[in-house]
Amino acid sequence: MSGKGGWAGKVLRVNLSTGKISTEPTVDRFKDFLGGTGIGYKVIWDEVPPETKPFDAANKIIFGVGPLAGTGAPCNGRTAITSLWPTCWPVPLVASGHMGGHFAAQLKYAGYDAIIIEGQADSPVWLSISDSEVKIKDARHLWGEGIRRATIAISQEMGPEASVAAIGQAGENLVPMSVIINSYSHSAGGLGAVMGSKKLKAIGVRGSRSIAIAGPKDEWEKAVKLHLSLLGANNQHVVPSSPQPWAEYYSRGSRWVASRGRKWGAAAPPIETGTCDPHDPNRIAFRTNNAAYFLGEMAWKYTVRGNSCFGCPISCHTLIKVPSVSAKYGISEIGQNTCSGLTFGKSFFKTFPDGNQGEISIEACMVGMSLADDLGIWCNYGQLQRDFKKLYYDGILKEKLEKTEFESYSWNIYEAGNPVFLFELLPRIAAKDGELASVLGLGTGYMLEQWGIEEEEWKKNLDLRYWKMGHPKHHANEDAGQCGAIMNTQYNRDVQCHSHTNFIRNGLPLDIQKRLAKEIWGSADAIDAVAAYTPMNIYKAKMAKWSLLRKELHDSLSLCNWMGPVAASPLKERGYRGDDSLESLLYSLATGDKKGRVELDQVAERIFLLHRALTIREMGQRQIRTLHDTMPEWVFVDPLGKPPFTPGTIHMDKEDIRKGLDMFYQELDWDCSSGLPKRDAYKKVGLSDVAAELAKKGLLP
Amino acid sequence: MKISGLAVIGFSAFGTYGTLQKKEPTLIIMEKAEGLVIGDPTLCIGCMRCELACTEFNDGKASPSLSRIKVSRNMNFGPKGVFAGQLRQGNWGNGLITQDLCLQCPHPVPCANACPNDAIVVRPPLYARVVDPEKCGGCRMCLRSCPWEMISFDEEANKATKCFLCNGKPKCVEACPAGALRYITWTDLMDRVPLRLVPTAVIPPEKSALCIACHKNIKEFQE
Repeated sequence: MSGKGGWAGKVLRVNLSTGKISTEPTVDRFKDFLGGTGIGYKVIWDEVPPETKPFDAANKIIFGVGPLAGTGAPCNGRTAITSLWPTCWPVPLVASGHMGGHFAAQLKYAGYDAIIIEGQADSPVWLSISDSEVKIKDARHLWGEGIRRATIAISQEMGPEASVAAIGQAGENLVPMSVIINSYSHSAGGLGAVMGSKKLKAIGVRGSRSIAIAGPKDEWEKAVKLHLSLLGANNQHVVPSSPQPWAEYYSRGSRWVASRGRKWGAAAPPIETGTCDPHDPNRIAFRTNNAAYFLGEMAWKYTVRGNSCFGCPISCHTLIKVPSVSAKYGISEIGQNTCSGLTFGKSFFKTFPDGNQGEISIEACMVGMSLADDLGIWCNYGQLQRDFKKLYYDGILKEKLEKTEFESYSWNIYEAGNPVFLFELLPRIAAKDGELASVLGLGTGYMLEQWGIEEEEWKKNLDLRYWKMGHPKHHANEDAGQCGAIMNTQYNRDVQCHSHTNFIRNGLPLDIQKRLAKEIWGSADAIDAVAAYTPMNIYKAKMAKWSLLRKELHDSLSLCNWMGPVAASPLKERGYRGDDSLESLLYSLATGDKKGRVELDQVAERIFLLHRALTIREMGQRQIRTLHDTMPEWVFVDPLGKPPFTPGTIHMDKEDIRKGLDMFYQELDWDCSSGLPKRDAYKKVGLSDVAAELAKKGLLP
Repeated sequence: MKISGLAVIGFSAFGTYGTLQKKEPTLIIMEKAEGLVIGDPTLCIGCMRCELACTEFNDGKASPSLSRIKVSRNMNFGPKGVFAGQLRQGNWGNGLITQDLCLQCPHPVPCANACPNDAIVVRPPLYARVVDPEKCGGCRMCLRSCPWEMISFDEEANKATKCFLCNGKPKCVEACPAGALRYITWTDLMDRVPLRLVPTAVIPPEKSALCIACHKNIKEFQE
């Protein structure tokens, strides 16, 4: 038992129907669920009836952070937002969106580990949290404004240090494909419209308090420095992408892109990223440049710097300055984002006049970021854009839309790869203006339903990367064979897990990876080289379980799962070993609640299992294996007809995957035929009460 | 320059200074610090690891509001804040994040002069201006005296605190993942770093009397 450190100590509850604001102690009710998604799932389980729909007043939205948020534990900027998920098809189920930025830390400094928002306001409001001063404020003047203007208006009232999580017009208009954004570019997908349904424009939070570290400060300093010393670049890639004087290995696909001659070219004056010896803690920030990684070499000259979430030395949000866009498109010359946030605008187009990594593609990215991160539109990990291209180029749009509406879009501009097209399309999605915009905003599952397209069509298509229930794959068999494929069956949105891909894609040679895999999962056979897969074995199931548990652990502690677990390191003298007990080390020192690696993984299993229980209760079905834990057909088909397990193909074998799911269920003590966790599985992690409720509904095996 | 002749008085003396004699000698800091920390805004990535290292490794708690290096307040909109309009810096402006750092001011040291308890003292070997928590009464006059707003206040301890250079190995410098902070030999930046506010602290009368007496004497001496 603790309460001495780590947690802020209180959970804030705000009822927008009654205006009642109250607090409750965190540790009493939520300690066994840590924070973040753990608190989110627990509140939904206890307080939201299974038949609730996302936009009902009875739905709740929980902004949860964990005991490591706001501390010096590296990469702790994540806020987990949990609610019923509007784009989950055919029935909305529980899921969580996660945003980086500075919101999590400010919430902790204000004295809270979570905010539970319930009810619905009569007219638009925003929530102001300044330490113990919490107020529901009129937001009628902000309603209809974009995220940026709303944030600035709120910052003018609260002060420049405030962190503001806001929705744009998309969320206000209940567009399911909408986001919540804080700190300029840090977005949590999928839940903007849930805030919109509550007429909650924004939450501004500013804190001036401290978070105590329970353990001795010198031990904490040692632990933090150990963690920092084992970090790689973004996605915990531990070798550089090009030969470096200090490096034994390099790997072209690595996100460790720093090198002599590669400069933050738009800094004044430009800054050399250099060789970045992993032993130099003052060079960590130069390893990663996700603009260059995702947009191409040309992005170096536009790079101003990396931009960090709270406590993160990696700075994967790259800040770029492209002066031409200001005159050409009337938007800010500065933009920042990472990964699919960077490529949001570009991904709508098939081609550009000067190629796929030319100037115009970068302009399209700038226009996309400028619009989407202000209107608050979600890309569903690129599914929105892949769907759009498919619908247009297959002639489906022409067929489905009224002629006048179809012709209201400048398709010649679109086909020419002119970013100006985004000014036509994106504001209409946010405004639900017309059928095309409205249908795109529903998310893939409901979109297909609306237009009478079989989901199977999408599931057959490798290029669409669609997985199930309205959402795409996220690091599946293209990264980690059966392990990745199985993991992608488990959630009610894209899986949002990087534990496995961070290891598989870390850039180390296969023999070193296999040596490390043996130490972590018990056998070198847990992993294969990408696209040189071998048949399923129990160690792949163990790796899948470990990956998912660590994802929930990270989302509950507030550690970034894009940077962990630290299963490998860039340090030759350690044999490239990482340390997968860092989470428990930091947790124990911060909170004073001593837990080892195994014990903390058991807490993670409790959280993961509660998510499973929620899914089962909300579905009200016994056949979870066949109704929920599914894979799309493209996983089992090779475009060139290569058989499974031959080098060069990522596709899987059906019988092998069936065995794989069996092994995965057995690892978790779930019933193999139904996919329902057994009573003992719940009991083992202290969820007997959850099992009892499911038993009453006939939802135990 | 004849000022060096006065420097020996520094720190302990004035006790025998005629009519100004008191039981406790009034503290006037004359020594210069050995070093100071400077920051380069073009390198800052806004991770706040400097503020965390400052408070976690020195105080055992994460507390940007207590940090003696101040970056959070400039991160979103820059030193001129959210009302700076087109001149905004930071993540919501031109991208530059300014690190605010203690200048370890030369004589007259504004925070030390404003302290009614003489709680801001210098300690060898670095001669950083530091708050002696034993003497600090928590009145916050020093917070209003620093034109760069570099004094922090620990609400839990009810004491002021400020940069003490971590015994010559500043934690913030060590923690910066972008090498944006450097610990350098002291140099006078008072005229080079823009002020954040106009000080409103009142200097205790016995100190201002000393200042007048002494500076008048210097003038007469020089004349």
